[in-house]
Amino acid sequence: MEQTIEEIYEEAVRDIDAAADEGRIQELAVIYLGRKGKVTRYLRNISQLPAQQRPEAGKRANQVKQALNQTFRDAEERLGSAASTDERLDVSLPGRIPARGRLHPVTQINQEICDIFVRLGFDIAEGPEVEKDWYNFEALNFPKEHPARDMQDTFFISDDIVLRTHTSPLQIRIMEKQAPPVRVIAPGKVYRCDSDLTHTPMFHQVEGLLVDRNVTFGNLKGILTTFVHQMFDEQTSLRFRPSFFPFTEPSAEVDILCVMCRGSGCRVCSSTGWLEVLGSGMVHPAVFENVGYDSTQYTGFAFGMGVERIAMLKYGIDDIRRFFENDYRFLAQF
Amino acid sequence: MIVSLSWLRDYVPIEWDTDRLANALTMIGLEVDSVTDRYDHLKQVRVGRIASVRPHPNADKLKICEVAVGDETLSVVCGAPNVTEGMLSPVALPGTQFADGTVLEKSTIRGEISEGMLCSEIELGLGADRSGIMNLGSGHPLGASIKDALGLSDAVIEVDLTPNRPDCLSLIGIAREVAAIQNAPLTYPEIPPDASDGNIGELTSVIIEDPDHCPRYTAKLVLDITVGPSPFWLQDRLMSVGLRPINNIVDVTNFVMMETGQPLHAFDYDLLADNRIVVRTAKEGEPFVSLDGKEHRLSGDMLMICDGEKPVGIAGIMGGLNSEINDRTTRVLIESAYFNPVSIRRTAKTLGMGTDASHRFERGVDPAGTMRANERSARLIAELGGGNIAGGAIDANPIPYQGGRILFSVGKTNRVLGTNLNRDAMADILKSIEFSIETIDDDVLGVVAPTFRVDVSRPEDLMEEIARLSGYNNIPETTPLIPAEGRPLAMTLRFREKLRELMVGFGFSEAIAYSFAARRSGDMLNLPKDDPRRRTLAILNPLTEDQAVMRTSLIPGLLDALGRNIARQNRTVRLFEVGKIFISRGRNELPEEIEMVAGLWFGSRQDGSWLAEEAPCDFYDMKGVVESLLAGFNVPRAEFTAMPDSACNYTRSGHSAEILIDGEVIGIVGEVSSGVLASFDLEQPAFIFEIDCHQLMNRTPTEIQARPLPKFPATARDITLIVDRNLESVRILDNIRNTEETLVESVHLFDVFEGDPIPQGKKSLSFRITYRSSSQTLEDEQVNRIHRDISEKLIQSFKAELPG
Repeated sequence: MEQTIEEIYEEAVRDIDAAADEGRIQELAVIYLGRKGKVTRYLRNISQLPAQQRPEAGKRANQVKQALNQTFRDAEERLGSAASTDERLDVSLPGRIPARGRLHPVTQINQEICDIFVRLGFDIAEGPEVEKDWYNFEALNFPKEHPARDMQDTFFISDDIVLRTHTSPLQIRIMEKQAPPVRVIAPGKVYRCDSDLTHTPMFHQVEGLLVDRNVTFGNLKGILTTFVHQMFDEQTSLRFRPSFFPFTEPSAEVDILCVMCRGSGCRVCSSTGWLEVLGSGMVHPAVFENVGYDSTQYTGFAFGMGVERIAMLKYGIDDIRRFFENDYRFLAQF
Repeated sequence: MIVSLSWLRDYVPIEWDTDRLANALTMIGLEVDSVTDRYDHLKQVRVGRIASVRPHPNADKLKICEVAVGDETLSVVCGAPNVTEGMLSPVALPGTQFADGTVLEKSTIRGEISEGMLCSEIELGLGADRSGIMNLGSGHPLGASIKDALGLSDAVIEVDLTPNRPDCLSLIGIAREVAAIQNAPLTYPEIPPDASDGNIGELTSVIIEDPDHCPRYTAKLVLDITVGPSPFWLQDRLMSVGLRPINNIVDVTNFVMMETGQPLHAFDYDLLADNRIVVRTAKEGEPFVSLDGKEHRLSGDMLMICDGEKPVGIAGIMGGLNSEINDRTTRVLIESAYFNPVSIRRTAKTLGMGTDASHRFERGVDPAGTMRANERSARLIAELGGGNIAGGAIDANPIPYQGGRILFSVGKTNRVLGTNLNRDAMADILKSIEFSIETIDDDVLGVVAPTFRVDVSRPEDLMEEIARLSGYNNIPETTPLIPAEGRPLAMTLRFREKLRELMVGFGFSEAIAYSFAARRSGDMLNLPKDDPRRRTLAILNPLTEDQAVMRTSLIPGLLDALGRNIARQNRTVRLFEVGKIFISRGRNELPEEIEMVAGLWFGSRQDGSWLAEEAPCDFYDMKGVVESLLAGFNVPRAEFTAMPDSACNYTRSGHSAEILIDGEVIGIVGEVSSGVLASFDLEQPAFIFEIDCHQLMNRTPTEIQARPLPKFPATARDITLIVDRNLESVRILDNIRNTEETLVESVHLFDVFEGDPIPQGKKSLSFRITYRSSSQTLEDEQVNRIHRDISEKLIQSFKAELPG
């Protein structure tokens, strides 16, 4: 046996202290602890020692092996951490961006509208987009050949079937199915044959209907004022203006103070200072008669609004056709 | 309806300024669209002094005038006989728009430049004198606009009337509302009674053959008139509301229509065969030429005004060329009738004609106002045309008007409106617009609406009158009491919301396309003849050919959107849409409306960055989205099977799969076929999926039962098999999953390899099987044995080999 285990240990510690980098440490680890390394060889040769020396020598050699292992680990860490200062990250580099989609602005506004009414205790209902004349017009007190039908440019499938021009047919469908009280909103697509900067042949509406005992026009004003204040802001002024819808009497348009110019007059409000955002009114007794509700017992109000219109005001969009081009650069903004 | 304030003042004093008046009208339901000054066009017409006049070198009748307009002097060619040096006259500068709409331009007249135009009264719409240029007299500053110099101003209000208010299609109608809100008196025009005895019955007769179409027809005759231009006051009234003066007879009928709302028509009495009127429906196919020179083919339900032989007018819409007032007319028959609104509307629509008259008749004129309007017209025609009114009038009235009394409860009105108005206040409001009131008791009023208020028939109609005239904005806002009985949101809504959230989470943006499609969209998608999506619902009056039918697939809308995005240089497009498709059940049935979700992926899987190179997306990207979507809904077991080539209509053969749940096809995923790409003008690959929402929703578990987490560790073993290239990997996966060995927890395919050293026609598949027991930590020995068993069975079942 040439070297004692103590000599091997001291030599190893000297070498490790002198090592300049991680690579040298790894070489030394092979030299001392590898399969043909000095410590390994020493351990293998213990069998050649006299029998009474073997246990002590084996125990000592294993202690050295463990100690060296730890020394190597410490050395690696010491030299490694010095290197890591050179590997600092440029945290200003862009991260890996997970792909992210956007909900269509009409969907977002629609959800916002629905959420407000759901919080006020309304249900949500839906119905067909292709509708019978009865539901779209007749039952809503638009007689055949009545000029009121001119208020809505209608797409016809046949004499008796149309693309619904408003979500109001849901009023009839709901009341046919359900006894009062009714508190429901009905969002959905509607169709009118018209196309320009402010009209597309398809757009979205949200209809509302509340029928119960003792419902008043004052209630209608209260609910719609609450809605406008939540949708826009608490400071938004409203005005209720007499209008005409065959299925409501009295009927009211709801204007809000122009969100662009705050009432001083601009292009968006055609210099009037006001923007029409809702149509509404007390349910016409003829409509109650058509669905078999007792109009001496129940009163109600109905309202409807255009979702794109509100989205245009909220987001400052000046061309309604943008909503249906599905241009990524547009959709990505919302 | 256009109203000039100068005319309106004939019936009601106007105390308010125009803005206040316009706002007040809007707030009682007569929405004012615009307020303009009808003399604004005269701002560019200046006061000029004719400094010198010399003859035009190339024209005997023309002169060249130097006109001083303040700072500058203009050279103006003029042909008026009365042009004299020193005279003050209006000179229009280039750009001036005249009352008839023409715009003055700088011009060269017979070789001489004219920098403006000296104008006559009639050219400026300021009078009837056409004999020469207007003499402004003295005392006007040179260069001032004549609008200022003459103090010309008249507000013109355009009211956007709702169809329920035909009574306001007249000056008196608007004046009545103004009188009510200003609390001012309304003055009706005076009509002195006819002096002569009634001999009209000897001169003409009226027979109504279709009383349902024509409940009332009145006629009056004016004899010995001379047709000519109207006096200026009448022309001015008409021009103030945008009507063009024609002659003294026609102008009177238009004037009275605007005044009262009752359309009238004047016939040349001597052109009427037998000098009489027959009101009847047309003979099928009968030809007729209306006043505008257009020829019509009539149908049997159209109401015509006829003489003893032939039609002379389309009732309520337009007169005929054959009985038109002309220069030689000396005797005039004036018609003032009440026609059935539905009849007039139907005819006007069928013939594609809309006139001031039909607009009023369709909405309903005052059924009791016919005779009064006729008397007013006859009186004016006689005055202006220098004629005599034949005594008396014909009043054929087979169906007399019957007004009803409405019982109106003050208490109920307050309950519906949420107001607290007393009986007298309500009665005063109704009286202010000419309703007659009778007190029944403390609560109930008997109300008779005036005949011109054709829109009022129920107590609710009166409630609106009360509300609008007392002011909608004076009604207090209150909140209804809503009981706390919250109902669950409909499942479809929750499903759709989650669907959208998931898709957005996968990086897809939501598209909304029109529900319309081109008629040939079935061909563009290469659908077979018997595909249900060929059963399109056609729109009778589409806006464009591209929107002629309702869509039967969401795919064309997404491909259109893709095309637009590529054109706008958006190179990666991930879009989805949730919306309905429409399958026709025949034109007279409502179609089947099926809600679908579809997605489209085009371009790269990931954008290039400093971290990774850009990589194009492929089938497995799209399939992964679908798998993740189904997992998001906790669908327990979905399958994807190769779509048979024969079913690949718009997706690429061998690159398309059907999506199945419980053995039912709920949708497809695949690459768009090159043929279909081409028909949408696209080239590069695009990947799509579409799923029937209802089918998916019905297979989505509604309840989730949590499983306990495992207590003991799992052990994994890998296996690589070399199998036939065409073997679907899912068969091996299913085989492992379905093994009877209960310790198999899951299996995962982690590598697929083809090519050297794997023999041609083969592929290697590597799986990792995870084993776990719920009751103990598995021993290596045990796992090895099970894994060996499974491996052997797989080798046997799939004629597989182990790698060498």
